[in-house]
Amino acid sequence: MYTCKDSINLLLEYLEGEMSPEESRHLQEHLSGCSPCEEFLNTYRATPSLCKRALAARMPKEVSSKLTEFLRTKIKSAS
Amino acid sequence: MSAFEALVESHQDKVYGLALRMTRSEADAAEITQDTFLSAYQHLKDFRGDAAFGSWVHRIAANHALMRLRHRRVTQAAEVELQGPEFTPRGTLADYPVSDWSRDAEEKALDAELGQAIRQSADRLPEGYREVFLLKDVDGLSYEQIAEVTGDSIPAIKSRLHRARLALREAIDAFYNRDNRGP
Repeated sequence: MYTCKDSINLLLEYLEGEMSPEESRHLQEHLSGCSPCEEFLNTYRATPSLCKRALAARMPKEVSSKLTEFLRTKIKSAS
Repeated sequence: MSAFEALVESHQDKVYGLALRMTRSEADAAEITQDTFLSAYQHLKDFRGDAAFGSWVHRIAANHALMRLRHRRVTQAAEVELQGPEFTPRGTLADYPVSDWSRDAEEKALDAELGQAIRQSADRLPEGYREVFLLKDVDGLSYEQIAEVTGDSIPAIKSRLHRARLALREAIDAFYNRDNRGP
């Protein structure tokens, strides 16, 4: 029977479907009887999408204008 | 506007965002974005068209950002190991989640304070962990692509990704439970 520690260490492999059927069954048995780990799994799974939204950045307009100017100059001098 | 300029405009925010989060420097991010699109233009003939332009250009950006970080890292101290959650000697969680905030991830608007907490936590991740997390979870590169740009093994990449996700999950959990836990 897996402990919380075993289960949490295996979450990445579990979510990516890389565990053997037997390991997966052991983990599911633990999760079904341990609500803290079940909630931990839910929040672990939700973390990447929340982070992706928080870390999205817009390039400042001034930097964007400089980029366009830089590329036009370089491309023109290369052709 | 040329076809190439249109491609630049479509992908510049993501390339700049990746470079900014990896280097934590606006000046470096602007330069990396310039170098990335110039490299892309110079190697357009190598773009086979069987992958999305975005995926190809993001790999170029990751290479440029990593080169800059490697150059910086020469003078930096050894990287710290990220610790995961705490467990009791019997292997049970020492600190139980108070609330399941996973459904908030599906809501349209992201709380501004939560966004700030995530950015601060991501910026505090040791570089090797931050790189892998940004390349996989934010930029969407495959493990094989990350192994190619970092030179690390896939098991090492997965191990660092797991540790980074645990650290960020912890930061988000602390935000949601800031009123429920004592000092």
